[in-house]
Amino acid sequence: MALRLRLEDVTFSYPLPGKDEAAALEGVTLSVEPNSVLCLAGANGSGKSTLAQVCTGLLAPTSGALYYGEERIEGRGTLREFRRKVGLLFQNPEDQLFADTVEKDIAFGPRNHGLKGDELSRRVSESAQLVGLSLEKLGARSPFSLSEGEKRRAALAGVLALDPEVLVLDEPFIGLDYEGRHSLESSLERYRDERGASIVIVTHELSHVWSLATAFGLISEGRLVRFETREQLLSGDTDIGALGMHLPQWGALARELLRAGISIGDPTDPRALAGAMAERRGAGGGA
Amino acid sequence: MTDDHSAEISTEDLSYTYDTGRQPALTEVSLQFERGKMYALLGRNGSGKSTLARCLNGLLVPSSGRVLSCGLDTADPLNALAIAGKVAMVFQNPDTQMVGATVEEEVAFGPENLGLEPSEILRRVDRALDLAGITGLALRQPLRLSQGQKQLVAIAGAIAMEPDFLVSDESTSMLDYTARLRVLDLFERLRRGGMGIVHVTHFLEEATLADKVVVLDAGRVEAAGTPAETLGDPGRVRALGLDPLAVRVVAYELGRLGHAVPDDVLSVKELMSWLYA
Repeated sequence: MALRLRLEDVTFSYPLPGKDEAAALEGVTLSVEPNSVLCLAGANGSGKSTLAQVCTGLLAPTSGALYYGEERIEGRGTLREFRRKVGLLFQNPEDQLFADTVEKDIAFGPRNHGLKGDELSRRVSESAQLVGLSLEKLGARSPFSLSEGEKRRAALAGVLALDPEVLVLDEPFIGLDYEGRHSLESSLERYRDERGASIVIVTHELSHVWSLATAFGLISEGRLVRFETREQLLSGDTDIGALGMHLPQWGALARELLRAGISIGDPTDPRALAGAMAERRGAGGGA
Repeated sequence: MTDDHSAEISTEDLSYTYDTGRQPALTEVSLQFERGKMYALLGRNGSGKSTLARCLNGLLVPSSGRVLSCGLDTADPLNALAIAGKVAMVFQNPDTQMVGATVEEEVAFGPENLGLEPSEILRRVDRALDLAGITGLALRQPLRLSQGQKQLVAIAGAIAMEPDFLVSDESTSMLDYTARLRVLDLFERLRRGGMGIVHVTHFLEEATLADKVVVLDAGRVEAAGTPAETLGDPGRVRALGLDPLAVRVVAYELGRLGHAVPDDVLSVKELMSWLYA
């Protein structure tokens, strides 16, 4: 399948002096495939939020190019169409929510895109359902009266209602607990599977996306320093600590086992890890 | 015999309700916190952990029951200033705490409010900056620092109060890993210096560093004990709305395969040592 979103040698610097220089980008080339979850990870100030905004067309590259499929995105004409296809969930849901009821908030985007009547209400209820938000219970409430987890879901429903092919989320898991995280994770998986969507998650915490993401772009000082699959990340020599991050305990354990020459199957499957360890333990039992 | 409670925070049947008629945020919480120990306070969103943290220094006053902070009843308004000097607090977002034009002024804010002599304020500010490892930032503007540096400034401000206890309400949640390690290392040094640390967190790996873990659910204490006692059983941890440690999930599976892993194996290092034992 063709690549969906592509950045070619993108450089970005903020026009005003004094703005955090570390948040600039330098020579970033990366591509996003359909039906995938890409994690863009970096420490605070590494430039990852800037990168998210370039990927969604909110910031135009200073140099280099942004492509959607075969088409280069630049200027108002292409940008307008591009923005229909790419959705961004901001880190703080309150930056996104604004209407006086949850239902109106979710309907705002698709209505702007010309949806009306039954089609509009179907889109709104599908989006709400996808994120596990009950419109019957919360639809008439002010979005600002919701809990943190509900606000995040309402904001996501608003983005999904635009039916984006690429969904970019900036630190979507911060402030959510275990259950909130899992519910968001399964919403994203469902959206990817149903729509063949590309999902890009920007985070400083690999543990939040460990089992969800299939590829990891590691960002440091405005550069994409590594672009690896989970397996490459585990078996390679990438020093994640030097990039201001750490492997989640799942990954750290899998990496130690691999380094000890113990082969494991799916590194996110506890039974696979336990099975490999039990075998090693059994084999070494008499020694 | 009289017990000396001046070095403790104790909650006795502490209940707290935000609005009358609503579900209580805390119900009959009875806990003891000692100096020189680190406590991790865990629980899903809405479990009451932030409410409990705010009750420890009198920011919130019990609806029923009582809290004695270093022997002082938090319900008595006359104790408020003394308690503020003994139980300091840091929050998730350091921006909400910054008032000074420079880091130095920021850190001096607390001791100034205690009405100390200028020379004493100066001594405390120097010591706090030194402990937090941010002496080099003394003349910088707090709001222009990185998120991690800001949090260290906020903690230095708390240290400058020379409190018996430091209560951290998710002070590490917004920080990246490097910044988080720096804060946790500072907590450990303060603990060794005799301070009691109460750290509200989402990260179970941070909780394994604590002497004692308290898990709240629906405003009640559902588990309290050593990290091994409270975090060992992944099923129970999940039922309390928390993400179990990977090591314990794998340990559970190993148990099912006939290889029992002791409860106090919580880190990857410990599990690898067990593997080769």
